[in-house]
Amino acid sequence: MASSDKTPGAMPPGDGSVPPGKAMTVGQHILDKGAQMLQTLKPIKKMSQHVCTFAVYSHDMSRQIETHHYVTRLNQDFLQCAVYDSDDSTGRLIGVEYIVSDRIFDTLPPEEQKLWHSHGYEITSGLWVNPRVPEMIQKSELRDLARTYGKFWCTWQVDRGDRVPLGAPALMMSPQGVNMGMIKPELIQKRDEKYNISSDELTRTRIDIGVPESTNPKYADYWMQTGKGFAIDVQRTEMKSRAPFP
Amino acid sequence: MEGEKVSTHPEVPGEPTQTSTALLEKATATIQGFGPVNKIHQHLCAFHFYGHDMTRQVEAHHFCGHQNEEFRQCLIYDSPDGDARLIGLEYIVSEEMFLTLPDEEKRFWHSHEFEVKSGVLFMPGVPGAIQRQDLEKVAKTYGKVIHFWQVDRGDNLPLGLPQVMMALTRDGQLYDNLAQDMEKHYNVSFAAERENRAYMKGLAHGIHPMANGGGKGLETVLREVDCKPVESVARVFV
Repeated sequence: MASSDKTPGAMPPGDGSVPPGKAMTVGQHILDKGAQMLQTLKPIKKMSQHVCTFAVYSHDMSRQIETHHYVTRLNQDFLQCAVYDSDDSTGRLIGVEYIVSDRIFDTLPPEEQKLWHSHGYEITSGLWVNPRVPEMIQKSELRDLARTYGKFWCTWQVDRGDRVPLGAPALMMSPQGVNMGMIKPELIQKRDEKYNISSDELTRTRIDIGVPESTNPKYADYWMQTGKGFAIDVQRTEMKSRAPFP
Repeated sequence: MEGEKVSTHPEVPGEPTQTSTALLEKATATIQGFGPVNKIHQHLCAFHFYGHDMTRQVEAHHFCGHQNEEFRQCLIYDSPDGDARLIGLEYIVSEEMFLTLPDEEKRFWHSHEFEVKSGVLFMPGVPGAIQRQDLEKVAKTYGKVIHFWQVDRGDNLPLGLPQVMMALTRDGQLYDNLAQDMEKHYNVSFAAERENRAYMKGLAHGIHPMANGGGKGLETVLREVDCKPVESVARVFV
């Protein structure tokens, strides 16, 4: 029915905005403000950091995107991130990433590990940054994060031209220091200019963040060992029901 | 069979957060730009079930923001608390926008009319009269939900593949105990709200036949593919 690596059907072009749709009415703004005042929105308030980095599609590593993660830490070994395509108020929610320590990652079975990616290169090469936070402050946490693994599902392929979230969710992989994992310089430059940082400079200052070699076989970054990626197919099937549907 | 009510205090494996880490993250949150997140303005409660299995039902706490009048994007948590697990997301579009989707895409999306009119979808903490002003709009929308963490089967980590989820479309689908637990916890009555919402008009064009899976279940399957770009594969392994 749909696959993350197949182009979805066409939609009317409209005025080209992503997503299309009429501007919010004053009434809706007032409703929103009212709700916001009455509701506590606790899980949202627990988001403690904004990370800007890059990701590539597992089924097509020539497609690379800048991502903005809003991160909540659940405990010392686990983080959950809402991922957007920008950090301004028009940012589109493009997916979710989960991050676990190597300790937790090592408990996962191989079939599960294949869906995860490592973060060591991304951090030591200065691709992963906390915009507007002085590097000195971030450094200690980066040491821990460099040893983590991530699982990132993308539900809106904006870079494919999808004006609304279409099709099946796609698995993403992380930047790496070898061919298909290398992020295009123009993408990095654009990001660096926006935040007035230098990924090259960060590579130098982060040189003391070591990423230890693992003695256990790992299945993360699956493409690096096998040349294979993953796509997701959504198929029609019988629904197990307890009442008529729909 | 009763619906499983899963503990909402996550036993996500791991050490408690160190003080130094917590302090650091508190500092960063105040300096940085949280643009898209600051747009999240409302908390909506509802239930989802798996696209291939109606017997597995999940309480879904949506935290939503508008991109424009016709498009909302929501983060879905398993509880409204600070330690809630992020289990999925939902996109909500107007009926007009839904109708422009390619037909095969429409299957992913579910109608909201029944959930709203039956009282089961609600905004905790917001007086009925105010909620209804927004919910009467929601009744005319469609949603696309993907979950990543199957908390209902006891997973303490987000394992496996993303799941396309569906929503309630008629009486008899929702487990009574799940409904009652929600009513008790938030001190609401779905039956009373149903009456209050009887005035609401639903979808102008009725529920589209391709929506809600097109009447079929939907399941996700993993497929291994050769890495692209193909021409650079050789370089990796030389």
